[in-house]
Amino acid sequence: MLSRDDRAVLAAVADLAAVIERTAADLALTEEPSGFIAALEGEADADD
Amino acid sequence: MTEGTLEALAAALASGTVSSLDVTRRCLARIARLDGRIRSFITVDGDGALATARTLDAELRAGRSRGPLHGVPFAVKDLCHVRGLPTSCGTKTAEYFRADVECAAVRRLRRAGVVLLGKLNMTELALGPFGDNAHHGDVQNPWRPGHSAGGSSSGSAAAVAAGFALGALGSDTGGSIRLPAACCGVVGLKPTYGRVSRAGVMPLSWSLDHVGPLTTTVRGAALVLQAIAGRDPRDPTTSRRAVPDYGSTLDDPVSGMRVGVPENYYFDGIDPEMEAGVRGAVRAIEALGATVVTLRLPDPEALVGVANVIARSESAAIHGRVVRERPHELQPAVRARLEVGFNISAHDYLQAQRLRARLTREFVVEVFRAVDVLVAPVIPEPAPALDGVKAGSVEDVVRRMGRFSRLTRPFSALGLPALSVPVGLSADGRPLALQIVGRPFDEATVLRLGHAYETATGRLRGLLQPHLVD
Repeated sequence: MLSRDDRAVLAAVADLAAVIERTAADLALTEEPSGFIAALEGEADADD
Repeated sequence: MTEGTLEALAAALASGTVSSLDVTRRCLARIARLDGRIRSFITVDGDGALATARTLDAELRAGRSRGPLHGVPFAVKDLCHVRGLPTSCGTKTAEYFRADVECAAVRRLRRAGVVLLGKLNMTELALGPFGDNAHHGDVQNPWRPGHSAGGSSSGSAAAVAAGFALGALGSDTGGSIRLPAACCGVVGLKPTYGRVSRAGVMPLSWSLDHVGPLTTTVRGAALVLQAIAGRDPRDPTTSRRAVPDYGSTLDDPVSGMRVGVPENYYFDGIDPEMEAGVRGAVRAIEALGATVVTLRLPDPEALVGVANVIARSESAAIHGRVVRERPHELQPAVRARLEVGFNISAHDYLQAQRLRARLTREFVVEVFRAVDVLVAPVIPEPAPALDGVKAGSVEDVVRRMGRFSRLTRPFSALGLPALSVPVGLSADGRPLALQIVGRPFDEATVLRLGHAYETATGRLRGLLQPHLVD
């Protein structure tokens, strides 16, 4: 039997999973985590 | 001299008007007299501070100044590893965190000549925005005891507001420098991700942790940032980008600067006095010649969700041991937030990291094509009562935490530089504040606007800190 706190944790996890499902649906194959640093360093759209 | 600005004290020290030993003694005496009520310190290193002050005074007499921070009393959040002092990270365990190297920011501050007074109180494991702490005492807001000092760098903000130290270091993962700065009426800077080394600092979330200063003025924050910013091989996430001379542009005019005010999300449901304070500050900024534009900011709620997935997952990975082995030692809301992280899937964590990259790229390109900086509220209401924020079930507390930090989290997720600046007091004397957010690594523009606002509005001539009576 889950405690109230356990249920709250699982509810929070479900909310976060829903955000990901909603917002990550159209990620392109080329989009990877290192793009964050590239965006900060201004290299995201640099041409060779 | 313990109350006031870091830069004024620095000038007095440099001219010999006051000695570091004298001002350090006064800070320690003030802490001894008043911090029993405020609870801003966990460890006070009086002997170490006095010894350092004597050494620094001797250096100055011999004509050897280390720079503008020479002899200035300072303190650091108790998640910075400091040689010879315990690091509790706000937990029940006196030495919760040890690192192979001393905190890089502390090392650089020592080299710059600060006097380290001790380690500052904080929310347990930096996991909360209210500064309550069952093990070390809830940090009291010096402007309104019984009210939150904000968190998690609660002691850092309170110590500066109370005149115990002329500057402090804090850390910011979801708002933990800006939230307490706003609550306590001091200046707090979250630099760009990678601008300041995190070596020797307890990690909460590798992807979102930032180290930064809290001071009474923007110029003070600029001086501290100058000392601590820059590449550190011990923290490979630090940028190789050169550190500009922040002081050289601080007094430049802001006429023509394009200042964006969000029309979505940031003012929704906030306290009317807070909104009035921020909008009044925007008018003052416009009167300086800045061009104010209203604009719609991309998807703040998605940014909050992404930040939460990343932060919870990484926090659980880092601090999982204490949850598994000694859960009873943690405050219930802290434990609950960590437990969320155990249940987030690897798939969702990785998608959040990919999303973060996309959202940051889009934000930087879209928003900073239109404006040079953004101005927005930091906290949705002035510092709340401590009894109120701790009331109810764990679920109630965690939900309240999320609401209070909803305005800072998006900029944490984006890694952008963000400066909290006081803009006045509410009718019942609680600080109001705004945050200035800039392009990546453009702390210089953010600081310039904050300094211009402080100077123009006469804040520096007014009440910077509350009067504390014995």
